[in-house]
Amino acid sequence: MKTISYGQMTGAFMLLSILSGFVVAYQYEVATPFVSCVGMDAVLPFGAFWRSFHFWSSQVFVILLVIHAIDVRKKVEGGNASSAQKVHWMVITLSVPVAIYALFSGYVLRYDATGQAAGAIAEHLFLRIPVFGQVVDKILMNLSGDGLNRLYPVHILTGLVCWLLGTWYHLKRVRIGLDPFLFSLVATCAFCAFVRAPIDLPAFHAHLIKGPWFFLGVQELLRYFDPLIAGIIFPAIPIFLLFILPLVRNRLFIYVTVLLWTFAYTGVTLMNLLRNG
Amino acid sequence: MTRRNLIKKWFLALFTFSMSLPLFSFLKSQRYRPPIEKRISKVLKPGQFLTEPEFVLFHTNKGPVAISRRCTHLGCRINYFPEKALFICPCHQSRFTKDGRYISGPAKKDLHRFKVAVLEDGQGYVVYIPR
Repeated sequence: MKTISYGQMTGAFMLLSILSGFVVAYQYEVATPFVSCVGMDAVLPFGAFWRSFHFWSSQVFVILLVIHAIDVRKKVEGGNASSAQKVHWMVITLSVPVAIYALFSGYVLRYDATGQAAGAIAEHLFLRIPVFGQVVDKILMNLSGDGLNRLYPVHILTGLVCWLLGTWYHLKRVRIGLDPFLFSLVATCAFCAFVRAPIDLPAFHAHLIKGPWFFLGVQELLRYFDPLIAGIIFPAIPIFLLFILPLVRNRLFIYVTVLLWTFAYTGVTLMNLLRNG
Repeated sequence: MTRRNLIKKWFLALFTFSMSLPLFSFLKSQRYRPPIEKRISKVLKPGQFLTEPEFVLFHTNKGPVAISRRCTHLGCRINYFPEKALFICPCHQSRFTKDGRYISGPAKKDLHRFKVAVLEDGQGYVVYIPR
């Protein structure tokens, strides 16, 4: 029996996410983002299904990408990895924040209470990056200046970057078989037939807004620490450490630090989940 | 590596570097945007207020006052609770008085005020929202 790897499943869900994104884009209006999202759910035939399909396939893609990255670290662990393998590892490490930003920008694009707050916070965090803050914000967000006009193409671009990075390495090396693709397609269809993508209706969360699940830890840390530390430096620690993994000898230090980081981030995420106001 | 290949690589690097300036200049530049003039066709009585997406307009003894709903911590849209006479941010629960002064939470700074003028016919207001 053939085994299906994490990589194949990651690729399958990435394709589903991108393709369903193009379907949703046909009815999404950047000038009236919230209304068009609610309209999709409430009025358009199969609108709720397609929005749900894009939302959930993207969630699964990002989670699988992280698992896939953890899985392939073995290739650079041995100490005799070639320089090409080291570069491939660095690319997959960098593709994780790109995919997370694609997911994050999707939350902002629906422009409900959660999306608006998440976008405003992210813009402030970008602006706190030393020296390049304004440039980074102008390129990736600029919500206060351009509304969603900047973020919408960036959302599509980040999806394309994920696709290009994935294709660049895997072309002629591995192929996504029909089995994993069919499995992911049927599973997503079945799930999305019953579960809708979340959206906040007006007047909900008047006292308390909680951001996307992967952002809750940052949201909690922003209560206590400077935005530069809580929102930029702290989330960048595991990315940076894993990025330099093939370049350092003391890998145990990296693994222990990343593990401790994961525990700490899970802890503050739970703190935020349990918060009532 | 042959000399030709080396020259090609150097040319590519130089070309990429020289293209980065026009690219960044284009992406970074921002057009001048005059403030949005938001017209309110309603007259508030003393003690009344009006909530808009960008601000809350109060009628005080000294005239109309528009308090920004943008939290000074991280820019979340802040809500006004008339029963408590407080602004409370839904993201990190920073609190501000009715006139926008900081009380508690991570924001540390007062809320901004927008310029307000009474319409010429006296039947409303115009609020200037900077961009």
